[in-house]
Amino acid sequence: MSNKISTAVRRVDAVEKASGRARYISDYEFKGLLYARVLRSEKPRAKITGISKPDFPEGYYYIDGKDIPSEGRNNIQMIKDDWHVFAEGEVRYIGETIALVVGPDKEKVLQLLSEIRVSYKEEEPAYTIAEGLACKGGPLFGDDNIYGEYNLVKGNPEEAFKNAVKVVEGTYKTGFQEHLYMEPQGMVGTWEEGKLTIYASAQCPFYIRKSVAGVIGVDEKNIRIKQVTTGGAFGGKEHFPDVIATPLAVAVHKLKQPVELVFDRIEDISFTCKRHPSEITIKTALDKNNTILGMDIDTRINGGGYESSTLIVLQRALLHGLGVYNIPNAHVRGRAVATNTFPSDAYRGFGAPQGLFAIELHMSQVAREAGMLPADFKRKYFIKTGDMTVTNTTMKDVVKLEEMFKAADDMSDYSRKVKEYEHDPLKGIGISFVNHGGGFTGNGEQEIIKSVVKMKRTGEKKAALYVSNVEMGQGLQTVLRKIAAQELGLDYTDIDYDNPDTDIVPDSGPTVASRSTMVVGYLIQECAKKLKTRWDEGIGTETEHHYVHPPGLVWNQDTLQGDAYPSYGWGLNVVEVEMDPVTFEIKTTGIWTVFDVGIPMDDTIMAGQVSGGVIQALGYASMEKCEVLDGRFRQHTMADYVIPTSVDFPEVKNVFIENPYAYGPSGAKGAGELVFDAAAPAYADAVQQLTGRNIYEIPVTPEMVMGALK
Amino acid sequence: MVDSYKPATLKEALALRKQHDLIPLAGGTDLMVKYQSWSGTLPRFPKGALFISRLPELKGIEKRGESLIIGAGATLSDVAAFPDTPKVLRDAVLSIAAPGIRNIATLAGNICNASPAGDSICALYALDASVVLQRTGSERTVPVMKFITGPGKTVLEGDELVTAVIVLLEKANISIFKKVGTRKANALSKLSFSAVAEVKGGVIDGIALAFGAVGPTVVRSVELEKKCIGKKRSEIESNIEEIVRDYSTMIVPIDDQRSSAEYRKQVALNLLRNFLTEELAGGMR
Amino acid sequence: MKDIEFTLNGKKVHSAADPLKRLLDVLRDDFTETGVKEGCGEGECGACSVLMDGKLVNSCMVPIGAAEGCDIVTPEGLRETEKGKVIIESFADSGAVQCGFCTPGMMMAADALLEENSNPSEEEIREALSGNLCRCTGYDLIVKGVKDSATRGKKLW
Repeated sequence: MSNKISTAVRRVDAVEKASGRARYISDYEFKGLLYARVLRSEKPRAKITGISKPDFPEGYYYIDGKDIPSEGRNNIQMIKDDWHVFAEGEVRYIGETIALVVGPDKEKVLQLLSEIRVSYKEEEPAYTIAEGLACKGGPLFGDDNIYGEYNLVKGNPEEAFKNAVKVVEGTYKTGFQEHLYMEPQGMVGTWEEGKLTIYASAQCPFYIRKSVAGVIGVDEKNIRIKQVTTGGAFGGKEHFPDVIATPLAVAVHKLKQPVELVFDRIEDISFTCKRHPSEITIKTALDKNNTILGMDIDTRINGGGYESSTLIVLQRALLHGLGVYNIPNAHVRGRAVATNTFPSDAYRGFGAPQGLFAIELHMSQVAREAGMLPADFKRKYFIKTGDMTVTNTTMKDVVKLEEMFKAADDMSDYSRKVKEYEHDPLKGIGISFVNHGGGFTGNGEQEIIKSVVKMKRTGEKKAALYVSNVEMGQGLQTVLRKIAAQELGLDYTDIDYDNPDTDIVPDSGPTVASRSTMVVGYLIQECAKKLKTRWDEGIGTETEHHYVHPPGLVWNQDTLQGDAYPSYGWGLNVVEVEMDPVTFEIKTTGIWTVFDVGIPMDDTIMAGQVSGGVIQALGYASMEKCEVLDGRFRQHTMADYVIPTSVDFPEVKNVFIENPYAYGPSGAKGAGELVFDAAAPAYADAVQQLTGRNIYEIPVTPEMVMGALK
Repeated sequence: MVDSYKPATLKEALALRKQHDLIPLAGGTDLMVKYQSWSGTLPRFPKGALFISRLPELKGIEKRGESLIIGAGATLSDVAAFPDTPKVLRDAVLSIAAPGIRNIATLAGNICNASPAGDSICALYALDASVVLQRTGSERTVPVMKFITGPGKTVLEGDELVTAVIVLLEKANISIFKKVGTRKANALSKLSFSAVAEVKGGVIDGIALAFGAVGPTVVRSVELEKKCIGKKRSEIESNIEEIVRDYSTMIVPIDDQRSSAEYRKQVALNLLRNFLTEELAGGMR
Repeated sequence: MKDIEFTLNGKKVHSAADPLKRLLDVLRDDFTETGVKEGCGEGECGACSVLMDGKLVNSCMVPIGAAEGCDIVTPEGLRETEKGKVIIESFADSGAVQCGFCTPGMMMAADALLEENSNPSEEEIREALSGNLCRCTGYDLIVKGVKDSATRGKKLW
């Protein structure tokens, strides 16, 4: 039954990595390498009144904004360009880059750093969403601390609430989440053949190139970015690498020597972006039969000290705000708030997990208010093909949620257990349903990214593919090879695909937004078809393919109306838990998942994506507490910021429901983020059933369970 | 840079200890984290290290009469693997970190680190364990409960080394160790609880209860334990709330990045209550 | 102070490093054994796992002075052995490798487990890997890789 493309192959990078031969950024040797360390702000909000430095011995350098060439700008281009390469007279969060100290001996660099004194005039900081909205200490951004606000309206929500017999309300909160890719952030900048070149552990080489070019003040073609084997990313190496690359580039531009900037783990947890914390208030209007008339959703996310890509994250949270449900009347409002925490940025799901957590938990709570079990109630509102979405267009996907529910129920025995555990104080089972839009929101692919891919016949039975998308663990180097090989009738190992180098590959866009397989994979498929027709022209024949938006999709970026995504992946998770009544510790006893990712591109790679995404989300749901105390992340070591180990959760049991997408390669849709979305609400729902109390916040710690049971 | 020493014999180690101001380093797993610096630079030890883990005199574990003598060089894995290690100590040791750390960290080092959250310390309190301290020419034995005086503080003198840990082999027929960590393995403690009891003829003959990470040092009260001695099951059962109340005044945890004071206190008392009603009462049937 | 002598993947070697230098840094910087990864520097992640006298240890926690006279095996050493080859092949075929940063350490933990227990249960495997963190896989396929290693390498351990 399985598609040919789904048949698992051995990953091309597996042996090299397992044997320790794969080289990550810290494993490279560079002649005459200098080491950089960041001088960071110690204050969350302050004016810098002075910096006193010791005398720097020869060969040691203090690099700051004054070293930016006159043609360049002290701004990092990450959607919005408000984040500075080096602080400009003021700091807005603890850890903000003030300068780099660079030199050949690390001990000496540390000593020099310790002798630098920065004096500050402190101002009152705001850390939480509430403090930000209240403009504590005066506004940090504009006159209201709101980076941006959006309002989506479907139907007539006002009328719905007027007619309501009952209104159910809840406010759902999610915290910071650290990516905790196993390889910390790092890069080496060099001056090669008169060109500023950066070797980077990163997801988006062309993003880095653009930021660096703007800072140095040269054409992008004068900057070269070489991606090296990347030890995990999860969105953490999407925009944040620009915050490392730009000061590093300033140093290399000045010194014309190789400079390394690699973070230690504690530095990485303390001073890199996290997932945006959210607070989402949902009100549901019910009629006398407990039928939903309408919803009002008010979403606030904590953007931290600079806006960077926060508004795009917010948009995705809102566009997924109604989850998989057809709610006739809805108002979905969203605001992104400026605070003095470390700026938040991309993390697997990009806002969707926060929106989906809120709607899923809320729907379970409304179900109970209506006297129904969660799945029975949720299924009544499943969106169907042709139904109106929150952006007032029709749902164009073939929606297979009912089939998926049946598969999950068969595997997990959910329907029986949910009734059985209704009165069991120590057991619970939760369920959640999600979808996730693949690719960039709206017309981003068409208007902003404009991907190009290239292929070349390189031998009798060999070809190479050229894209800017990176392998970061997700299996892309294997999957794209499989797609190309299938079209060319070659073995996937006959296709070459190196880590991208911006001097060699065309810009096929960033490795983000679950787009690489679906969007870039499709371009490769089409490009390979072209190459096949021209194969006989001989070795060296090249073909190119440019992105074309699928037909029939309309989008207005100003009003956020129309087809928000070309297609959605769909998923459901069932999580079963038990509680230790003495310690309130929760043990997960079963995890069952069903996903519709179109056609899986490789059964084993996709199994790895599912297990990995689900367990990462269960960490988010249960243990990954990340509080801010006096402007610093309180859990900033790996001992205190805990992620799941091999013993924390049982095996994830998964099935895929096939549902090919016409504009994905062999029918594939986006998957990398979808697999993260559903586990947190399913876990919280399970604890809700166990405790008999509503849960409103993750992580659901034993401390919180104890409090709920009081 | 500091000068470190790798003596070949205990005698040499004691002489060096007397001569220089040094930090004894056995497994080093706590010290290497404490003094961790930038990758590729030396850990920032304030003084030189005295490497003692490989001293032949400190390596072994042996059963001597009713005691277990655990050399200061014995790793947590060694302790867990030794057949005569009391269950409460074995369970405590196996709850620490993960195999890679247990293979280097030592029991003596865990004691000298004197963390209120030290899992083995909680068990050693309940076992009335002692440490042997040697200096050139003399030796003394100090109960672990007296050895540790506060978080990170011990009575170890500058010229002394812990050379062994002595554990009395329990006559206990009830033995419990429970750790509540930040996750299910490779975790630091939010709190821990150790209990050993000997029941003879339906009467409590001996009992020791210790609570970790709920105060500046492990909490144990010999006085409160005495109240239980000689009691029958029915007498314990009718006094449970009073016992819990007594302990409640001694358990004064703090809020930190791992847990809350409220949680620590309630769960510590829940563990106590559960021990009294389930494990102890069960063992007295 | 005298040089520190130890065995690295079967060869006697010397290090003139300060005895407090981390074994991790000695291996990576002085012997270019870059299969040993630094993931945290605080003994939490296991990416720097090596075998010391046959036992799994976190090399970020070991000062080189404590490794004197020891037999150290790194991923570079293990991969040349029959056992190492079986683990690598099994990991590759099971889909146990994603970003790969934890994988060499996982391989060391797998070998250490199989040395002690050549036919481990799923629970025993999970326990043995509990000091080696992975953020990509959710562990299921790594567990499968270790099971598969035990099956394929039946006579080796």
